[in-house]
Amino acid sequence: MKDNKFVNINVGDGAAIPDKKDRGLFNAWWISLIGGLGIILFLITTKPDPYLDILKFLPDGVLVTFEVTILSIIGALILGLITGLGRISRVRPINLIASTYVEVVRGIPLLVQLFYIYFALGQLFRELPETNFVFIFLKNMPPLVAAVSAMSICYGAYMGEVFRAGIESIDRGQSEASRSLGFNRSQTMRYVILPQAWRTILPPVGNEFIALLKDSSLVSILAVADLLRRGREFASVSFNYFEAYTMVALVYLIITLILSKGVSYMESRLNYYVRD
Amino acid sequence: MKLFVVMAALGMMFMLGCSKAEEKKAEEAPKAEAPAAEQAAAPAPAPEMVEITFASDCTWPPMEFLDADKNIVGFSPDLLEAMGKAGNFKPVIQNTAWDGIFAGLAAGKYQAISSSVSITEERKATMDFSDPYFEVKQGVLVQKDSGIATVEDLKGKVIGAQIGTTGYFAAGQIDGAEAKSYDEVGLAVEDLYNGRIDAAICDDAVAYDYALQNEKYKDTLSLAFVLETDQKEYLGFAVQKGDTETVKILNEALAKVKASGEYDTIYAKWFK
Repeated sequence: MKDNKFVNINVGDGAAIPDKKDRGLFNAWWISLIGGLGIILFLITTKPDPYLDILKFLPDGVLVTFEVTILSIIGALILGLITGLGRISRVRPINLIASTYVEVVRGIPLLVQLFYIYFALGQLFRELPETNFVFIFLKNMPPLVAAVSAMSICYGAYMGEVFRAGIESIDRGQSEASRSLGFNRSQTMRYVILPQAWRTILPPVGNEFIALLKDSSLVSILAVADLLRRGREFASVSFNYFEAYTMVALVYLIITLILSKGVSYMESRLNYYVRD
Repeated sequence: MKLFVVMAALGMMFMLGCSKAEEKKAEEAPKAEAPAAEQAAAPAPAPEMVEITFASDCTWPPMEFLDADKNIVGFSPDLLEAMGKAGNFKPVIQNTAWDGIFAGLAAGKYQAISSSVSITEERKATMDFSDPYFEVKQGVLVQKDSGIATVEDLKGKVIGAQIGTTGYFAAGQIDGAEAKSYDEVGLAVEDLYNGRIDAAICDDAVAYDYALQNEKYKDTLSLAFVLETDQKEYLGFAVQKGDTETVKILNEALAKVKASGEYDTIYAKWFK
């Protein structure tokens, strides 16, 4: 890591070092993954009639869920970082805008935000004249864009708070030390504070990723054909509610597990104290 | 400290309120039971009025919907009331979201569904139906200037419909068209109005209501045509598989209402 010489100022004073005993086959992650895959395999081999059919019906829904989740994560991270920095900014107007954004967005349920951005704003855009390409785009906003914007805006507020907390958790002495080494404010943030804060921030941010993935099921309200909607469409035709939702739950579980593995891999990369 | 005192006072008030409400309930309970007990003891009263709970997805005007005062109104609530009088039962309508309405019936959350349910062979496999009470066709709603006039014009277009409805199934069967499922028919119509889809399919009565009656939509939307089908489609009241008793009550009552001419009065009230 090229920034080591800066971060090492604080060696021995960081977050608790996780021990290694949790690795191996018999941790919660492997049990859940093998259990989930095992149940799916068991179901599709013993009762292929509904279960295999359902599984075949779901793949494009899984792709849409992935698409929504990944785009929203990127959007939420960018918005979150901006908001987090805005919240600790000493420039009053920036601070005020960031804080207001957090307060307002955090106070409105995601489902309502989705409805609002897609249906309520849709009606407003409808009345806009088609004078420039922005208006034309807004008018024909595809549901996926509406879904991703709503989820990014919503989760950006939560992530902003995580970023703020992470940045504030870094001892004041760190920035004082780096300032006395001649770094300016933005350099301090980039080379000293953020690399350290990132370690504290990552676990809660990973949590937000997983929550976001599951909340992406809400976008099915906008007729986006995601995993949940595919399951519902299957159930609505065949009346196999139990079977369809069982399969949907298991597929969500598998995707979430994959995502959580990705997050814990990133965490282990950042824990350079114990990295092998 | 001050805040704590205020909180504590609020908490106390809340608890007092709760216990008072409970006392009231406790007082009322024996009173309510008494007449029921007397009734049971009375010698052979008129055959007891049974209560039948119906689930209704009240987002389907003019068949069943909520008016401005949140009352459940429409063609089928009126019909149920008339049937209740004729067949000596008390219909209780429970507003239930369409998504899961059949699952709720299977789980025994209510005895019947009165929600413009079309009688189909697939549905008959998992539930029983009363006699048909209404004939429906599938109406295709479009924007007025869209130029869509026949099924062929729908090729390559996106059609919205409510999930799990016969309209949605019909949309899926149109060659070369993409069917999109919504939670409520209203959301599909709104998307059509906003120009995000090309057509919406739903029961013709509902389509008429949206295209011709609705203040917001009537200038923009129109009913392009009604889908031709080989088989006639009818609405029926759905009950749990094997619930012959409820079916019998409903069928008898429906026959009486139709015979007395009351059915036509109700029909005229909602479809003229």
